[in-house]
Amino acid sequence: MTTEQQDPETAPHKRRSIAGGLPSHPRPSLSTLLEQYGLVIFLVALIVFFAVWPKTSGTFLTSANIRTTLENQAVVTIAALGALIPFIAGQFDLTVGANGIVATFIVAALTTKAGVPAGFSCIIAVVAGAVIGAASGIVVAYLRASAIVITLGMATLLGGLVILYSKSNSITGIPTSLISFGVKNWLGVPRPLWLTLIILLLVGYFLRATVTGRRLLMIGENPVASALVGVRTQRLILLAFVLGGALYGVAGVVLLANTGSASPSDGFSNTFQVLTAVFLGATTVRPGRFNVVGTIVGVLFIAVSVDGLSLAGASDWVQPVFTGAAVVVAVAASTVFARRRIT
Amino acid sequence: MTDQDQTDARLRVENLSKSFPGTQALSDVSLEVSDGEIRALVGGNGSGKSTLIKILAGVQPADPGGRITVSGESIAAEDITPEWSFAAALAFVHQDLGLFDHLSVAENVFVGLPYPRRAGRIDWRRLNREAASILERLRVKVSPRVPLAGLRASDRTLVAIARAVRGRDGTHDGALVLDEPTARLAAPEAGRLLDALRRFAADGQTILYVSHRLDEIIAMTDSITVLRDGAVVADRSTAGLDAGELSRLIVGHTVLSTAEARVERRSGPSLLEAEDVRTGPLKGVDLTVAEGEILGITGLIGAGTSSLLRAIYGAQQRQGTVRLGGRELPSGDIAAAVRAGAAFVPENRLREGAFVTLSVRENLSASYLTRFRHRLSWIDRRAEVKASVDAISAYGVRCRSPQMPVALLSGGNQQKVVLARWLTGQPRLLLLDDPTQGVDVGARAEIHRQVRAAAKRGCGVIVASSDADELLELSDRVVVLREGKVAVSAGRDEVDRHWLAQQVFGHDYLQESQR
Repeated sequence: MTTEQQDPETAPHKRRSIAGGLPSHPRPSLSTLLEQYGLVIFLVALIVFFAVWPKTSGTFLTSANIRTTLENQAVVTIAALGALIPFIAGQFDLTVGANGIVATFIVAALTTKAGVPAGFSCIIAVVAGAVIGAASGIVVAYLRASAIVITLGMATLLGGLVILYSKSNSITGIPTSLISFGVKNWLGVPRPLWLTLIILLLVGYFLRATVTGRRLLMIGENPVASALVGVRTQRLILLAFVLGGALYGVAGVVLLANTGSASPSDGFSNTFQVLTAVFLGATTVRPGRFNVVGTIVGVLFIAVSVDGLSLAGASDWVQPVFTGAAVVVAVAASTVFARRRIT
Repeated sequence: MTDQDQTDARLRVENLSKSFPGTQALSDVSLEVSDGEIRALVGGNGSGKSTLIKILAGVQPADPGGRITVSGESIAAEDITPEWSFAAALAFVHQDLGLFDHLSVAENVFVGLPYPRRAGRIDWRRLNREAASILERLRVKVSPRVPLAGLRASDRTLVAIARAVRGRDGTHDGALVLDEPTARLAAPEAGRLLDALRRFAADGQTILYVSHRLDEIIAMTDSITVLRDGAVVADRSTAGLDAGELSRLIVGHTVLSTAEARVERRSGPSLLEAEDVRTGPLKGVDLTVAEGEILGITGLIGAGTSSLLRAIYGAQQRQGTVRLGGRELPSGDIAAAVRAGAAFVPENRLREGAFVTLSVRENLSASYLTRFRHRLSWIDRRAEVKASVDAISAYGVRCRSPQMPVALLSGGNQQKVVLARWLTGQPRLLLLDDPTQGVDVGARAEIHRQVRAAAKRGCGVIVASSDADELLELSDRVVVLREGKVAVSAGRDEVDRHWLAQQVFGHDYLQESQR
């Protein structure tokens, strides 16, 4: 640290500077808190509502319901944590679902048709996810193509390859070892949730606390300025796609373990579900930034609303209308808040 | 214009106040500008100039109690809308002109309005004719048909003025508000623009002129209003004012003339050696910088001063060799240059320097993040916060907290953050591209002091600047680039304003001044 001796006579600004007693964390105002935790409050309100609403109060807070609701979120959460990495670096990634579906087919085909052990097949699927991520990443980072367009093309292409391979048929007969991973508990909690928790901690640590994570955030904010302080932006953007891809692969494996069969699809509906959670997450906890805790809140928000509405026997149109409206309102409100904060 | 009573001001601002949560941006500000008068509005960053302009433009509501009168039309300050402001013929030209390079001059003048049509198609002939008539009334000699990209810098500003006054009955009605129009212009271009403005004033145009360039204000304005912390601290005629007095008014203290503060230093051993650097406009530049030396480089726009800094730093591919402390820097590799001890403050602060939505802390640690790296790649958050608090006080950054987004700081303070980010890491070579552009005198003095302090520690510095005062205040040696080559290099003692002007402008300047 340099602490140059300042001649007070020639440092007019220092007199008025409050740097001496500078608080590192000033007390946040009520509106800041509301902005930060609005979605969390809304989520809690939603839970309370479904817990007392006569139509759902009988089942909503039972341990069985909580359990299945959370269990179903393992796949979405893992994929969302993966997507968070390129998004933080300012890169759209639409291969989430397609990449995951490819992973389910790799594991299903290797185990049922080639007799490869389940564990090894899963590793191959995750590596394949990383390779797919690398393919998008190389084109986006080094050829400077638009991420949203490249990953859209990549996802469509992968969906086509899945149809080519599967001839539009599902693969069943997955080894029981894999299915039992999806069903069995450890310390009373389903195993996929343990896996999700581990990945949550790892991604949170990576993005929040490491030098590379901070650099991804800098790239997402201002790629030119990042490059000018010596950040190797292309390499890191590639890394973001690779890590994202690997996690979509993990999510695909868990999906297969949950459902027991690989079904052909381009995965776009999964992609949009995951990205909805990621975008909702960017409006809360650390508003304006994609963040890990916010993403979890986003996932839970969608999960609770889907679950509560289906328990209440709401028609098919209610849930997408509700979720869609939530995204529009949350992101619009967050944008207005951000503008007020900056100007 | 002429039916106006001469004693009545063309533009009158009375008792204008504006408060934001926690700050009083303007308190009880009054000023008057009469017909054909050029009034300077000056003040440090954060003094309230921008707020005043935004209120006049109707984009930000004032607190109740103020009153604005334009050409006899009066309105409560809190009621101004952009429509009212337009109808009152208040015209604004901002530092960022907001022009479109690939469109023609005429299209730029009428951009945003429905173009004239004939039989459903755009009537280009009429569009060009109308643009030509506006330009003619402003006595700007530019064809409406040429693409804007081909225009010289001063003419571009005049096109922006033409756009601001389009659709008026009298070309010089109302008042023209100019926000730092010369900040990005090299001296001869600024001179041309100022000539045009004087001509407008002589034709009866009322002008409110915001600038940081003190010599310019003294040379061309009739009267002056100085704002400090949102209040008027001086309202007087410009006549008899000198630069020292003016900067005292702006800052509120005597700013020690940086030239006086300059200490003679003997140069240390050679630090940077650049040989035959070629890229973009550069056609083979040789350069050396010694430890502790401040080298000023200058030239006309397009002479390649920015390119030279970027080529050395690796932000631009180049041919030729660059050695820093004996170690060769590979072309186009910024990370390697940073590791070797180079630091670069880019010209365009907002686009290339600051991470505006990130916090002051995150901005300050951006350059040397790895200093805070512990095992497992963990960033030591406590050390990072402490370093940022230290840097904020050491470099005089005015902010409420290190957690505050940089977007909320004033321009001068943003620049201090971008500079401090590097200086805390004690670089060996500091490359500064127009470091005080758009920065007030106080922040500028502070930035200069920091640069000199770094040089005193042995850091080699290259300052690229089009500002003669800055070069004379800071440099130990000045290099002038012309046509992609080093035209001349001279020690500080051999350099003065006249020398600089002659070297920078070469033959063109002589021809220009003979015209």
